[in-house]
Amino acid sequence: MSRLSRLVALLALLAMVAAACSSNNGGGSSNNGGGSTASNAEITIAIGSEPTTLDPQLRDDGGERAVTDNIYETLMARTADGQLVPGLAADAPTQPDATTWEFKLRDGITFTDGEPFNADAVVYSVERIIDPKFQSEQSGFFSTITGAKKVDDLTVDILTNGPDPILPSRMYWMKMVPPEASKNADFADDPVGTGPYKFVEWTKGDHVTLERNPDYWGDEPSIAKVTYQFPSESGARLSGLLAGDFDLVTNLLPEDVQTVEGAGMQVAHVQGLEHPVLILNARGGITADERVRQALNYAVDKDAIVNSLFGGFGVPDQCQLLSPSWFGFDPSLQAYPYDPNKAKDLLQQAGAEGQTIQLVGESGRWLKDRELIEAVANYWQAVGLKVDVKIYTFDEYLNRLFDQKNRADAIFVSSSNELLDADRGYSTYYEQGGVGSSNDDPQLKQLIDSARTETDSAKRLADYQQASQIACQKAYFVWLLNNEDIYGMSSRLQWTPRVDAKLLVKEMSVTS
Amino acid sequence: MDTDKRGTEITQREEAVQAEQAEELLRGRPYEVLRALRGALRELWGDKAGLFGLLVVLGIVFVAVFAPLLAPHDPAQQDLSKSLLPPFWYGRGSLTYALGTDSLGRDVLSRIIYGTRISMFVAVAVVAVAGVVGTVLGLISGYRGGRTDSIIMGIVDTQIAFPGLLLALIILAVINPSANTVIIVLAINGWMVYARMTRGVVLSVRQTPYVEAAEMVGCKPKRVIFRHILPNLTSPLLTLGVLEFARIILAEAALSFLGLGIQPPQVSWGLMVAQGRDYVFSAWWLVTFPGLAISFTVLGVNLLASWLRVAADPQEREKRFAASISGTAGSVA
Amino acid sequence: MSVTVFVVTRMIGDPVDILLPLEATAAERTRFEHQLGFDRPIYVQFGDFISHVARGDFGDSLWQHRPATEIVFEHLPRTFELVIPAMVLMVLLAVPLGVIAALRPGRLLDRFTVVLSLIGLSIPQFWLGLLLIIVFSVEFRLLPPLGLGGVDHLVLPVVTLALPAVGRLAMIVRSSMIDELNQQYVRTARAKGLPYSRVVAVHALRNASVPALTLSGWEFIRALAGYSVIVETVFNWPGIGFLAIQSIDRQDLILLQAIVFFVAVMVVVVNIGVDILYKVIDPRIQMA
Repeated sequence: MSRLSRLVALLALLAMVAAACSSNNGGGSSNNGGGSTASNAEITIAIGSEPTTLDPQLRDDGGERAVTDNIYETLMARTADGQLVPGLAADAPTQPDATTWEFKLRDGITFTDGEPFNADAVVYSVERIIDPKFQSEQSGFFSTITGAKKVDDLTVDILTNGPDPILPSRMYWMKMVPPEASKNADFADDPVGTGPYKFVEWTKGDHVTLERNPDYWGDEPSIAKVTYQFPSESGARLSGLLAGDFDLVTNLLPEDVQTVEGAGMQVAHVQGLEHPVLILNARGGITADERVRQALNYAVDKDAIVNSLFGGFGVPDQCQLLSPSWFGFDPSLQAYPYDPNKAKDLLQQAGAEGQTIQLVGESGRWLKDRELIEAVANYWQAVGLKVDVKIYTFDEYLNRLFDQKNRADAIFVSSSNELLDADRGYSTYYEQGGVGSSNDDPQLKQLIDSARTETDSAKRLADYQQASQIACQKAYFVWLLNNEDIYGMSSRLQWTPRVDAKLLVKEMSVTS
Repeated sequence: MDTDKRGTEITQREEAVQAEQAEELLRGRPYEVLRALRGALRELWGDKAGLFGLLVVLGIVFVAVFAPLLAPHDPAQQDLSKSLLPPFWYGRGSLTYALGTDSLGRDVLSRIIYGTRISMFVAVAVVAVAGVVGTVLGLISGYRGGRTDSIIMGIVDTQIAFPGLLLALIILAVINPSANTVIIVLAINGWMVYARMTRGVVLSVRQTPYVEAAEMVGCKPKRVIFRHILPNLTSPLLTLGVLEFARIILAEAALSFLGLGIQPPQVSWGLMVAQGRDYVFSAWWLVTFPGLAISFTVLGVNLLASWLRVAADPQEREKRFAASISGTAGSVA
Repeated sequence: MSVTVFVVTRMIGDPVDILLPLEATAAERTRFEHQLGFDRPIYVQFGDFISHVARGDFGDSLWQHRPATEIVFEHLPRTFELVIPAMVLMVLLAVPLGVIAALRPGRLLDRFTVVLSLIGLSIPQFWLGLLLIIVFSVEFRLLPPLGLGGVDHLVLPVVTLALPAVGRLAMIVRSSMIDELNQQYVRTARAKGLPYSRVVAVHALRNASVPALTLSGWEFIRALAGYSVIVETVFNWPGIGFLAIQSIDRQDLILLQAIVFFVAVMVVVVNIGVDILYKVIDPRIQMA
């Protein structure tokens, strides 16, 4: 077999040559060490999906957001730990009456094409995105907004169809677009914003490049140029990071953390937006009995799931669908402890031991979804239930999730919350009539309804906390965990990840 | 469509090649096949590759049947505290979990052992369904001729021209994937080869003098089919069936790998590879061992098939004998 | 064929659910359905579909919101980037391997060819790809495992695509060469004093290349319309096969229709190409 080994050696040699040719990108000349001082540094970021458009108002698309978050800005912004602060607005908004929010704007800001950012631009942006003809996929975030009115050049009133306490959070989602440039036919391919970076080029299927906006109104960003690439598989992002092609990669898998650290690179992690959870059917079947639902909670070892499956990169949910930094969080609630004996007792009391429970889920949409489902099924089996696990394709799964007539006993879902506010998640899963809800609790419905229009934020918070307490006590769900977002970073990148999962390049810098 | 016609021409040529092959298999007289098989068993000792194939196949069947006795653990038994243990020869590994554990702490070896069941079940079922349907349609097509023939062969041609995997993917996207749907899809994709071969054999057998004579005498078609045609079919059908068996194990694994085949909590080798894919950087054994199981099984079945092909065909045997003397032919493949 | 494509893709789940966020309201759903035209009677949708297909227009992809045809044509070249080098590699390796094996049966290279062909028949392609990744990317860090990039990104997927095909083709070349070398004309030519190498290279090889061509065409079609799905999925290569899997995953019927249609067209084109090559090799073969 000497010929064979020679062939292998030849192939390996070829491979090495090829590898050597390709791994000398990145870098450039970074002359400044850290801090916020401007440098010539160029970085490459790997995100999981390519934008489908660069029009920031059209799609609900994570790839688009990752790029346009740096080109466009919003009236309200958030600090890295989630605090709502003024962005393009000069100050926190005020409420002249129940259905109006008034925003004062910062003076002297222009779009990169020279158009001024003023009340007209805000009115235009609002009206553009809520226009039914524009068919924005984001319109759901702005369903309460009826219009906007210019008060003076730097003052705008946003009008809502009823009291809307979370309008400031909504305005953190609505990117401001230039009235003139956005009318261009190629606006989706040639974005123009007020943000710290401006668009350079987009080679479809390959990369998007942005460069520092020299006229930016805020602090000058440190990074001069940023290129985005879109390897969808986590292994591709990982190997690109290890090869030195990327400075920042998103959604690193927990089990790959050691590999990254072993190679002398950095790992950063932060509380994420996803809450995987099981919706229990309180309306009928085996789960109609509150004791059974509680038993299902006691049966699952959330800590073991966090530690083994997620390598410790997450925290068990505190018996609610919210993270500590989100509005509505109740710090007094605690997760059901892992107590299989108590679970068995409760099942026995309810006469449910040995019975079959259906568990509906999908595979491949969310991080470790299938493994979570199988782990939960195993825990339930261990306390004496038969578990009928059904993993469906995503469309079939959605049919089951939205099927309000024939509720499965338990449905797996991962609830994500970009507004960092209890409203959307609770309206969907907690409230009777929500598309993913499995309970008919009138008190829960009343609390969530009243919180939706409550403008006194203390009262509103109390409503949500009470709703969380009721749901926890009655065990309408099996809460699992809030997994962390894990980022892999080159050794030179300096950055702290944010709780809203945004990749703001202006907050990054590199060491030389 | 005009373009379809072109496809048909190609497939007609393929058909000619296949019919020729089928005919070649039949050049020996009909009842010699069984005697040939008997002799071939004796010859098996001489063909180490074929023997190996047979042993592998018998071994896999044994494992599938006695999986509960052989598996050291329940394949579904999880233990999150033992997740991602490496195989036994690593420091962290142990013989309790000889081939390591997956992310949920399940024993890889036990899952591979149970995985043989699904692979065997799907492959047997598909070969049976596709084989019966294909053979019956081929018989009808070859015997009735005329419009029936052209309709059936038309379907065969169009389907062969259409990329099989793509068709399977589309169907599996419509009907929710499971073991049963995989069987249906692979049978839909596989019946044509049997139909075409059967038809070829029917056509060639009917031209032989003794069948012509039988028909002339007034034998009923049923009798002609059962007495004259089917015996001629057994040997090529057997060989084709075994070959298809290997192909189907691979196809099931590929579909399960793509997420469109067997669904958890059922265990399948292809699915195991898919589930291990996220861990190629941290746990190579999750991908490697189930893949080895697939390769080993398919290799065994292929070797058995190639031995069968030779063993069932006296002419081929003579050729080999001559070759082994003159030294002009290599090993069997 | 277009009928099949329409029926099959229309049976796939409700695209509206897939496209909207989970938290969308019922009103958002209805509006979106209307916007896509899925609330029209099915025969109206079908008529619309046929008239557009005739113009090569499948409509906008539900997932990417651009013309599906445009997306397909962006991804097709990526698939050819893999398939064509793989096919060239296949022929370059398999033909010499098969010929040498046939000339010296039973020798080392012959055994190697046989083993290779068994590998080609027995190893699942997706697993081969993953093994190559484990060895060359994870263990030795020689090659990038996944995705687009320079020439180095091509190596592993092309090898994965080509290797099993090399074994299959080499076997066909080997056995048809053995048959040819046993033919009367070879003996005659040698008796007449023609050099053996010339007999092999010109006469035997030419005759043996007809079955090899049949198989190559077949491999080309399967690589294009079958194996590419698997190899591109394993390597995250944004070609037409990976696109098909993604569009199934996202229930993008419109894109799936376009993919299936254009792949079928490619299959026909390859078949015609093989037909022409037959005639070049052997002028006796008639084009119908």
